[in-house]
Amino acid sequence: MNEKIDQLYAYVQERCLWQFTSRTWDRQENIDGIFAKATELLTGKELTLDTPQDRLHYADAKVMVMDFKARFPWIEDVGPAQLREILQGVKDKVTDIAITSSKNHELNHSLY
Amino acid sequence: MPMVLLDCDKDIPEREKHIYLKVEGEDTRDFLPISNATTIPGTLSERGCAFCGAKLVIGGVLKDTIQMIHGPIGCAYDTWHTKRYPTDNGHFNMKYVWSTDMKESHIVFGGEKRLEKSCHEAFDAMPDVKRMIIYTTCPTALIGDDIKAVAKKIMEARPDVDIFTVECPGFAGVSQSKGHHVLNIGWVNEKVGTMEPEITSPYTMNFIGDFNIQGDTQLLQKYWDKLGIQVISHFTGNANYDDLRMMHRAQLNVVNCARSTGYIANELKKRYGIPRLDIDSWGFSYMAEGIRKICAFFGIEEKGEALIAEEEAKWKPELDWYKERLQGTKMAIWTGGPRLWHWTKSVEDDLGVKVVAMSSKFGHQEDFEKVIARGEEGTYYIDDGNELEFFEIIDLVKPDVIFTGPRVGELVKKLHIPYVNGHGYHNGPYMGFEGFVKLARDMYNAVHNPLLKLAAHDIRGTSKTAIKEAAE
Repeated sequence: MNEKIDQLYAYVQERCLWQFTSRTWDRQENIDGIFAKATELLTGKELTLDTPQDRLHYADAKVMVMDFKARFPWIEDVGPAQLREILQGVKDKVTDIAITSSKNHELNHSLY
Repeated sequence: MPMVLLDCDKDIPEREKHIYLKVEGEDTRDFLPISNATTIPGTLSERGCAFCGAKLVIGGVLKDTIQMIHGPIGCAYDTWHTKRYPTDNGHFNMKYVWSTDMKESHIVFGGEKRLEKSCHEAFDAMPDVKRMIIYTTCPTALIGDDIKAVAKKIMEARPDVDIFTVECPGFAGVSQSKGHHVLNIGWVNEKVGTMEPEITSPYTMNFIGDFNIQGDTQLLQKYWDKLGIQVISHFTGNANYDDLRMMHRAQLNVVNCARSTGYIANELKKRYGIPRLDIDSWGFSYMAEGIRKICAFFGIEEKGEALIAEEEAKWKPELDWYKERLQGTKMAIWTGGPRLWHWTKSVEDDLGVKVVAMSSKFGHQEDFEKVIARGEEGTYYIDDGNELEFFEIIDLVKPDVIFTGPRVGELVKKLHIPYVNGHGYHNGPYMGFEGFVKLARDMYNAVHNPLLKLAAHDIRGTSKTAIKEAAE
């Protein structure tokens, strides 16, 4: 499990700009929204695309999931329950490096 | 490995906090260079000023706008013509430069009257032009000239003109970055929402943070046209002043340069609910990814795939030709900030090039988070590098080519290391599929230029070869 989480986490670190936007609030919004959509996509759950923000997170998640499948074929063989656990594990790691343990001094500034 | 104190910095040990060497097992939770901080006394910084960030980078790109620079003549000349952003109306912005040419007497007695006169003269001399940006500079800010009041008077006298003011003197911030911020926030506060666009497509977006360097905007526009997406505003490549007043009507903000324009993208999200999509526009893999994301947002994925297939079929063979020959090339990227993270993986994945050192002039810590996450181990990551540090880093990593600006470029040329203009490009555009082939071609031509060897010989034959290695 941990190895699978590490593989997906390494991909996100290398490819995804949305984890490193300028402030805590938009990083959190992106991480929550995109992992929610990725989970829906990978577990075959019906997608909710009601708002422009939903469609944005879907767009980012769709490319990420496409790359996950291309780079990590094992993902197709994992059941929905374990997939949710793996994605939660990746999300936790991304949240930690981008927000909780980030050394970026500007993250919580009220202005830009 | 902690942060690095170079030998040349032994007398300014504070620089250690700005230089990082990535090693296995570390990430940005362990070390993150300090950035967007005041240049340390004793260092010879490569930075520009805050005014430059507003004028040269963003405002000066506009193709129909008089750029009135209220200050001494040098502030105007030095932020004009040094970046190549053409336009489709005959390059108006690159042909002309405007200044109030402040002299000592104006500083002593005040410059507002001179500014007012200059604005009228400019509009009279160019009667077809009805838009203007007025910039304050260090001396006119210090004497307290009220450029907003002058702009108001001009607009009252000339009801058909519109003027935007940027109060961002050079000393206002630690680098160009402050100027980006001031212009972004000022524009969204004062101008966005003051004009309505004609909507011609069910899909509308703003493309933010692309300045049409050597035609980047015009190249990418071909893609959006093929996809049937209406770009309401390009912020600010090849754009009209009024285009940018209509940004509030787009369905999506696509952001390329998050450093210079992330502010307005975030404000448009907060105030108008327009989502912000960050993409990379340089490199095959990244460009395809960006197109896929935009098309997924609009639900036109098939069109996107067709465009990607068409472009790759056309340009991939040329890219591969260069990739075969550039494999293993060691590159340094010493530019403003975002190109570090835009380029490090794209040159690695698409061209087999290894980036060995990167230096940022005005990046913030988020830029270093991005680039350290993407960059290689064994690579140096430098904030606000100075000339002596560049020399020492060159000795440490021995790059085959350096992408940087003309000032540092001239410096490294003397060491017989080829440089490619990483700001204004050598022979761009560099964005998109076609553009990345051009970048590869410029890199190949630089690295394999036979003149490099000839240049190292002293043709008088009376002294030693200057750079022996290069001549061998």
